[in-house]
Amino acid sequence: MAIVFYLVTTRGPQLKPYGGTWPGIFLGIAAMALMIFAALLGLRKRFLGLRIGRLHKWMRGHLWLGLLTVPMVLLHAGFLAGGALTSVLLVLTLVVGVSGIAGAVLQHVLPRMLTHEVPMETVFEQIPHIREQLKEEGEALLAAASKPQPAKAAAAPAGAATATMTAGDVGIQPLQNFWETQLAPFLLDPDGKSKLATPTNSEAAFRRLRTLLAAQHHPTVDVLEDLAEESRQLKRQESIHYWLHGWLFVHVPLSYALLVLALIHAWQALRY
Amino acid sequence: MSSPTQPPSDKHPPEHSPAQWGTSLGYGEPLEPDDIVAIPIFETVSKGLLQKNQGAVVRRRFKAGETICKEGDFGSTAFYILEGTAEVFLSTPMRGGNEEPERTSWWQKLRAFAEPKMLSKKGPGHGFISIDAPVNLTKEAPTAQLQAGELFGEMTCMNFYPRSATVRARTDVVVIEMLRNVLDILMKNAKFKAQIDETYKRRALNDHLRSMPFFSDLISKSGIRHDELTGLMEQIQQHAELSRYAPGQVICKQGSAADGFYIVRIGFVRVSKEMAGGEMVVGYLSRGNCFGEMGLLGEGIRTATCTALDHAEVVRIGVEQFNALLNASPEVRRALEEVAKEREEQNQQRLAEVESVSLDAVLTQGLIEAQSLLLLDLDRCTRCDACVRACADTHGGVTRLVREGLRLDHYLVASSCRQCRDPLCMIGCPVGSIRRKRSLEIVIEDWCIGCGLCAKGCPYGNINMQALIDDAADAVTAPVEAPAEPAPDGKVINASAARLKAAPKKKATACDLCSDLDEPSCVYACPHDAAHRVDPRQFFASKPGTSAGTR
Repeated sequence: MAIVFYLVTTRGPQLKPYGGTWPGIFLGIAAMALMIFAALLGLRKRFLGLRIGRLHKWMRGHLWLGLLTVPMVLLHAGFLAGGALTSVLLVLTLVVGVSGIAGAVLQHVLPRMLTHEVPMETVFEQIPHIREQLKEEGEALLAAASKPQPAKAAAAPAGAATATMTAGDVGIQPLQNFWETQLAPFLLDPDGKSKLATPTNSEAAFRRLRTLLAAQHHPTVDVLEDLAEESRQLKRQESIHYWLHGWLFVHVPLSYALLVLALIHAWQALRY
Repeated sequence: MSSPTQPPSDKHPPEHSPAQWGTSLGYGEPLEPDDIVAIPIFETVSKGLLQKNQGAVVRRRFKAGETICKEGDFGSTAFYILEGTAEVFLSTPMRGGNEEPERTSWWQKLRAFAEPKMLSKKGPGHGFISIDAPVNLTKEAPTAQLQAGELFGEMTCMNFYPRSATVRARTDVVVIEMLRNVLDILMKNAKFKAQIDETYKRRALNDHLRSMPFFSDLISKSGIRHDELTGLMEQIQQHAELSRYAPGQVICKQGSAADGFYIVRIGFVRVSKEMAGGEMVVGYLSRGNCFGEMGLLGEGIRTATCTALDHAEVVRIGVEQFNALLNASPEVRRALEEVAKEREEQNQQRLAEVESVSLDAVLTQGLIEAQSLLLLDLDRCTRCDACVRACADTHGGVTRLVREGLRLDHYLVASSCRQCRDPLCMIGCPVGSIRRKRSLEIVIEDWCIGCGLCAKGCPYGNINMQALIDDAADAVTAPVEAPAEPAPDGKVINASAARLKAAPKKKATACDLCSDLDEPSCVYACPHDAAHRVDPRQFFASKPGTSAGTR
């Protein structure tokens, strides 16, 4: 309807920029109203307990009417940039529109990715706490593996020197080294450069570790490998979370800037 | 009747009880058997029995203003007042059910227009708070007095539940404090039992009778005169019989002939129905609640099985007194029949909700017990926490849900009350503040004393203890008194005046389905339509491929 309106009203020679004509002003007011409505979503989200329309409907209104703002602005401008302020407004409109579309796509795709790639997902704010718990769990496992166990005297052949063999003495050092140099730091603060950062490299690292340890320590290694996997998943969750919400740091400030500049433009245009 | 020397139940082990387990209290003025029989209530008790239970009964003296026992504390003793007057009260802060917060600023007034309007804050229930004493407390002014010759703390003594109220000496008070074995001995004494029963009938039974929904409906529908009703109530009270039941003992069975109705005086009673899918627990009844009246109103057949969950005592009102009520006047009879018809329709509607879908074998890990789950569709949820914030906004800044829990396929079962078929959380509440309303949701009323039993009882961790936050202060605090110290001469000195310290007062919170609103706030506030409250049997029955996964 707006396009038809524009086509009809731009027939014939234009004596002044389209935005300054009555049809142009009408389209400008409509675009401004849509921008204000879109901005109200932020206010609505501040008062979630209020019953002034389901938030789902507000979100859909924001998406569709916000999308409609872009062609409205273009039509209002007559597809011309005009002066400095209007050029900035046009660019901002396009950037906000594109960032909004990108955000909608991300919020459609990323939740599914998070659900399927991070089965051990937790509440985002709890991740540092969970990491501490993983480290404590690892330390407890290591302490249990380091405890000396009494030798089985009946198993020793007659006449042979019966050495007191303890689990804590034999072969635990590689595990402790691995824990201190690689696993413990990775659990607390996973680094992309760590050998444990990818499943393939991690699997190889743990396989090597098993070859250095007696079979009795392999169950402990299995559990530590699970802890490493959980740490990777938490890292993946953080990464997806930043993409899922980070785009708002572009879209929201630019939207408010657009709104403020649009109000200034409207005041200037109507006054002069 | 259990043996006096039966070891205490470990179902609810006392955490803060000063009493030693077994047969001896370690404080107070220990009494020799000769001293004990000199006390009138013990005069017919054999000295031999008292000799065997030496140390299980002590005399304690409290000066005016001293605390005898504190609400929420676990214990294992009962008290009998020999001299003086004590006041019993709830110190838990109550905001009240229907008070609207005062709005002074223009912004608050503007907000008032947009805030959700409560449909109704009143549900079925009574206008008093039942406590472990021969008196009830009103919600408006939760305080009363106990006189010489009155016994309190029976439920704590018999079943080890937390103290339901705080008792403080109003004047100088002398009490006998006793363990369960001694209380059992006293209760076998006909004269003492009659005295206790008479006190209960005089001070509390009338409130319990009037609070029964059946009676309150009758009063509103029949137009019966006040003096007529008072006369009928007195007649009922005179013929009321008190009976005791051991844990697990069936009081009345579904399908049997109805010979009376009951009011719970001490302990808890489980009400269950046999249905197509198995037994369903309708609820747990505590002191002041009634059961059995539907059988009398209907065809004279019991509609549910009622079983004592612990050491319970119930008041039985026989069918003869009930018929006397029916014959009082034609209006009363007509009103009763109308009430019966309404109650039966409500029950049938409620049962239809439960019986409509057969149980689904896919559901595991406790979901089969749930009647309502909060599910988050993780493929749509952007983890924005709008649901959590909306819940907090609706409930005074304290959320009732946590966005974490069991995962089923791409659904997250959020940690939020599941309105279980068998609400284990309801067992043990000393003040009856956790209850079911007319539909299925479980609510925790404002007079919760914060003992934490319900939070411990919930198998899914869906009830949390939250410190109260007042607008005018950082935290609503309650004085925590130092424990009483026995002096060398055996007299108890309460050093509370010197060692008061503030501690945040906590209350239990759980999801109530926003039952006073038209839709739960969490569902209403989700921007991506990812949050849903569902009946799990209906929801998952249509999704056979759902697999359970846990962290």
